[in-house]
This record gives sequence, C-alpha cells and structure tokens, in this order.
Amino acid sequence: MRFPDNTDQDSALSVSLDFEPEAGPSSVALNNDLSAAVSNGNGHAVSNGHGGPLFSNGASSSTNGKLTAAGYASKGSHAISRVSLPGTKLYEDSHVDREEFVRLVIQSLRDVGYIESAATLEAESGYTMESPEVAEFRECILDGSWDSAEVTLSRLGVSDDESLRMARFLISQQKYLELLEASNVNAALHVLRSELAPLNTDVDKLHSLSGLIMCSNAEDLKSRAKWDGAAGVSRRQLLANLQRFIPSSVMIPQRRFASLLQQAYTHQRTQCLYHNAPYDSSAFSLYTDHHCSRDSFPSLTTHILAEHEDEVWNVQWSHCGRYLASASKDKTAIVWHIGVSLHPLRRPKTGPNTRDCIPEKVLRDHPYPVGCLAWSLDDSILLTSSEHIIKMWNPKTGLCVRELDAHTETVTSLVWLPDGSGFLSGSMDRKIILWDVDGKQRDTWGTTVIRVTDLAVTPDFSRLVAVGIHHLPSSANNSAVTLQDGGTPPTGAATQASTERRRDVENRLIIYDLATKQQEVSIRLEGELTSVKISQDSRYALVNHAPDEVQLWDLDSARMARRFTGQRQGKHVIRSCFGGVDGNFIVSGSEDGNVYVWHRDTGALLEALPGHGEGSVNSAAWNPKDERMFASCSDDCTIRIWEIPPPEMMEAVGSPMAEQNGKGKGRSRDGWDGTG
Amino acid sequence: MGMRYRQYLAGTRVYGCSTCRTHLATIHSMLSRAFNGQHGRAYLFEGVVNVVEGEPSERQMTTGNHTVRDIFCVKCGTTLGWKYDRAYEPSQKYKEGKFILERNLLVDVQ
Repeated sequence: MRFPDNTDQDSALSVSLDFEPEAGPSSVALNNDLSAAVSNGNGHAVSNGHGGPLFSNGASSSTNGKLTAAGYASKGSHAISRVSLPGTKLYEDSHVDREEFVRLVIQSLRDVGYIESAATLEAESGYTMESPEVAEFRECILDGSWDSAEVTLSRLGVSDDESLRMARFLISQQKYLELLEASNVNAALHVLRSELAPLNTDVDKLHSLSGLIMCSNAEDLKSRAKWDGAAGVSRRQLLANLQRFIPSSVMIPQRRFASLLQQAYTHQRTQCLYHNAPYDSSAFSLYTDHHCSRDSFPSLTTHILAEHEDEVWNVQWSHCGRYLASASKDKTAIVWHIGVSLHPLRRPKTGPNTRDCIPEKVLRDHPYPVGCLAWSLDDSILLTSSEHIIKMWNPKTGLCVRELDAHTETVTSLVWLPDGSGFLSGSMDRKIILWDVDGKQRDTWGTTVIRVTDLAVTPDFSRLVAVGIHHLPSSANNSAVTLQDGGTPPTGAATQASTERRRDVENRLIIYDLATKQQEVSIRLEGELTSVKISQDSRYALVNHAPDEVQLWDLDSARMARRFTGQRQGKHVIRSCFGGVDGNFIVSGSEDGNVYVWHRDTGALLEALPGHGEGSVNSAAWNPKDERMFASCSDDCTIRIWEIPPPEMMEAVGSPMAEQNGKGKGRSRDGWDGTG
Repeated sequence: MGMRYRQYLAGTRVYGCSTCRTHLATIHSMLSRAFNGQHGRAYLFEGVVNVVEGEPSERQMTTGNHTVRDIFCVKCGTTLGWKYDRAYEPSQKYKEGKFILERNLLVDVQ
C-alpha cells in the first residue's frame, strides 16, 4: 500500500514527492543539516536538497490517533523526505517485493517498540504498514468495541459475503462469550438470538454455544469453551482467526517476519544432516545458515560392556537414561548402571568421557535365551521374554516378581502403553495380549492374521502397529504326492519343500486402531519384517525389512515415506531405532557387524560405524535423556556405548569436514576401545 | 550366529517336536514312511526346519554304509533323527541331503 495514494489525506508529503526524480539514487535528509548523511543502501548518498519539514499532521494520523507514520514523524519534528527507488523489487536481481518487505520491517519495528524508527521508515519509503482502517479495526477488537469493529470490518476489503458473514460470526461469538463471562446473561442471550443465530447455519455450533449459558461461573465457561476470557489472549486469538477473511495485503498477519524466519530455521534444520542440537539452542543465528558439525555426533565407542557369555540380542534404556538392560542368548538379561561422566576438569586430559558402567544386576533363571526387554514408565519394572515366557523383574533388587505363561510360542515383542497403565505382548502364536501392571490379562486381540514378529504403540495412544508373517492357506494340496516305500527312490514327485513353503508365506505390516482393535490397514511386503518402532509424533513407523532395508512408513497415508539402505540383513532379527534430537537419526544393526546411521528426513547414510566383532549387530538404542549417547549390541557378546569424541581427539583426527564423506573410519578411536 | 525366530509351517499336517512342539516338517515334504530308527518307525523327509545338525559320522545301516549327521531340535535340543550326507550304495543315493525323523519323537502340531 503506497503512502501517497490518498492524495487528499497526505497533503504535504505527496506534494513534495512530485519533486523527486522518479528513478535513480536517492537519499534522505533528516532535517536540513543531515543531508547526505544517510545512504539508501545502493551505495549512493545524494542529498535531495529539500529543506524544512515536509510533513503536515495529515489526516492519516488524526483519524484514530494511532501510531501512523505521519503522526510520529511530525512529533519528532523531523523532516523526512521520501526516497524514491526504481522498480518494485528489493534488489535488482531479487524476487522479493520491496513494498512487502518494507511493510514487514515496519511491522516488526512496531512490534518491538521502535515506533519512531517505524514512522521514519514509513515516511522514507512511502509505504505504510497498514491503512488507518486496519489499525482502527485492530484497536476495536482488542478494546472489545464490537460495534465499531463490525463497521470497520466492512471497509477492509473482505472479498465475498460469505467471508464477511463468518467474520461477523466470530466477532459476535467473542462478544457473546465475554457477556457470559461478565454474567450478563440477558445481553448474551440477545446476541445469541439476534446476531449469532441469523449468521450461522451450523446448528451444532449454535447448540454448543447456547449450552454455555448453563455454565455456573466464568471458570467453568472458560474450560468448557476452551477460551481464556476477555483478559486473556482470546481477543488476540480472535484477531488471528479473522485474518483469513481479510486480504493479507490489507492486514498483514501478526509477526509475519518472525514466521518467515521460523520457516527458514525449520528449513535449515531439516537440511542439517548431523542436527543434534536442542531446539532453543544458540546454535541458530540469523547471520549464518545453521549447521551441526559431525563432531557432535556420537561416533566414538567410549565403553565396551563385556559380561555376557553369548550373543547379545537386544538393548533397552531405562526412561531415566541411567540404566541399560541387555538381553542375551546366554539366557540372562543384565541391568547396567551407566554412570555420570566425570566433570570435564576431573577427566583425564587426553581421553573420552569416562564413566562407570557396572553390571548391576544379572537376571538369571530364564529357561531359554532372552529376546525382549521393556522398562515400565517409572522404571520400576523390567520385562523380559524368553521364548513363550514373560518375566517381570524388579530391576533394583534383581528379583523376579512374576512369570507370565500365556503365550504358546515365542514372545517377539513387549511394549508398555504410553501411559504406563499396562503393557502389550506379541507372539508367534498369533496372540497380542494386553496386561496390567500386576501381570493380569486385561484384554487380547484374538487370533491375529499374522504371527507377530514385532509390534509398537503410537505415543498418542491411537494405533498399534504390528509386523509379522502371514501363512496363506496351502495352495499346493499335495494329496497326490505318493509316498514311496523304503527301498525305492522317489520319482521326483516330491515337492521342493522349502521353495514351496516360501510361496505360501507373506509378510505384513498391520495398523490397528488401538481403542477398537479394528484393523485399519494391512500392507503386504516382500521381505521378512523384524522390527517396528514409532516416531515421537506418532506419524511414522520404522520397520526393518529383509533383505537389506529399513523402511519408514507414514501411518496416516499408509505409504512408504523413505527407505534407508546400506545395512545388511538377511536371515537374522535386526532392530533399529530413532535417535537424537527430534528423532533426527535412524540407527540400525546390521549383519556385516557395523552400526548404520541415516538422516531421517533425507535418507542420507551418515555413518557405518565399525568396531563390533564377528557376527551381526543385532540392535541399537538411543539414550532417551542424553541425545549424544546410544548403545549397540552384537553377536560378539558385547554392548558398545557410543558418545561424541572429545575435542582434543577431533583435533588429532583433523578437520571434521574432511571426514564427512569417509564412512566410519576406524581412526584413532581404536585407541579408546576397551576403556569400559 | 545372530538371532533367528523359528520357522513355522502351514499345511494340512505339520509335524512337530514331541518335547516342545517346534515345527519340523509338513506331510507334503514326506517321502517315505518305511524307515526304521532307534525308536521304531521313522519317516524320510525332503526337508525339515528348525533343526541343528551334528558332526558327520559313518554309520552302517541295513541298506549299506552311510555318512550321516544327527539332527537336534533347535529349541529343546532333543535328538530327532539324522540327515544323510552320503550313501555309498548307488541304489541308496536318493537319500543324500534328506532327513529322517523318528515317528515316536513327533507330534502333530497342526
């Protein structure tokens, strides 16, 4: 919106502008004596030669007494000439519209209280942030002058009658609620009848509004209407809601510049492959693009936990992040205490973080190897599974509290409900059972289509995601296979048992509605599925898929969102997890003995960390309290704790940038192996 | 090496380990019922699942000399029968790579 458009309102300014050269370099004189002092940013500083105040206190400032340009500029008794620039873009070669940009700057200046500067900018640029009508409208809403607000609304360029009607409805609704809040029931009723009812065709909406009359007091009203009252932010909220009916060029959305910057931050963050900094961190500056260095990625083994006597198949952190449980083929689970790292000053000068990692409790008495682990929300119960048996342990005492024997085949998954009120077990016997915290069966899923190989519950409590094997009804009804007598060789009629069997098997990812236990979606997948985890926002499922793939599934659309490749997985149960701030990383075990790490949003392979010995890395788990630490476990009977390398090591290794494309070099880190 | 779930079979008839009911073979892969084992009748199968194979050993049988390996249930470790690595008699060559499961150690699981 150009300042001088209303020539009859902006008398002196618009007239004076006529003397300006239309295009070309220009500058500003803040009073006579400051001529040539201000550059316009294009490198020229030419005085325009005008002297004396150019402003009269025009109509634009006097209409409402608001902080419009002319009003403030004149108060300061500064004479500011308009700078006339060629074209409409901010820079010659940019796509940014200068008027839009400047109006946002003015808005930002006003927001923080640089009122004079904003006025100066309006005068100098000739752009106004908004017309007096908009300012008046805003003021009316914030002051609760509803009648004036409605009058002004009609002058704001609301495009169609429907929008106007809905905008009026929102204003009347606020008016109605405020009257109720003030216990002015009669006036509220009047608004309901004469304003809201004629405006709204949505009967349910009117019903719920009229029901609010029954609220016993203001507090009740606020909680039922989910509304915070006249003194709260509700009027500001109303203004934000009205925004969508008013052209944004007329009324600029609130804090628009800040939202654009927020978008830039979000974009930079999704592009930052090694991003692992907390959201509000000082890692973000406007001066430069955000970038997290690889140095802050936990790529170094700081401790090796070697206590198991056989392959370690699973690891799970306690919610407090101080304990790690491990499950092994050696028929034990171990609860490790992972100590606090020494204070930087007390640490050895040349070494990684050192901390005590103690096998605090060894949970024995499992009849078979241990497969699953699950900590209760308060970490007071640790569940383990050994074949079809589930055991509940007190991890503090190391004593088995209960043994649950309801499954008939291998238990492949144990997960606590998001509220800690119980847990689910999934099994190869096609049963999913819901248990309460005392180990009593609360519910079951009946017989599932699949033999469950893993399951997970979304943190928002809405869904259960299960993966497993579905056995099709045998198509090869081989009653025709003739059984041979002992001595005679068969005539080749015998079917290739293994290949035949494979064809009768398919793998499925099934999404259930957690509340109703109804199947939402069942997706057939090619390979064996061995692990499923859910993202913190409940939107994605991370699934290990043989051969050699980890897949990210969007649960809302039931489509695959991304594949992560590079890791090796054929026959074994390999598990993966989300890691880092906002689950930015995907970490998976692999049959080639490396730990694989990808960037979640781009699928880029970041690391293939070597270190574990012979055999598979079976699982990995990120510390829930320390975004710079995770654990991996392997057939080599050990667990590795991974942390960020100490700064002095990074110097020894050289520039991290140079390392970025080299996947997981052994480097000098080998020197630190074995410190556990 | 590595964690593996046991395989599950489907079909009209599935034989399992009598001790722990681990799935072993289907009737579709059965080649013959006319064998004898240490515990009486035994069946010859084209393929079996969920077994661990022992070390090879030479064994003299009624049909001649064979190289065989004992096979054990992957879950409970019970010896279930054996696998033929090699048959020396040309007429017995068809058994090579096939499995014997003793009937008394089997149970119908499906």
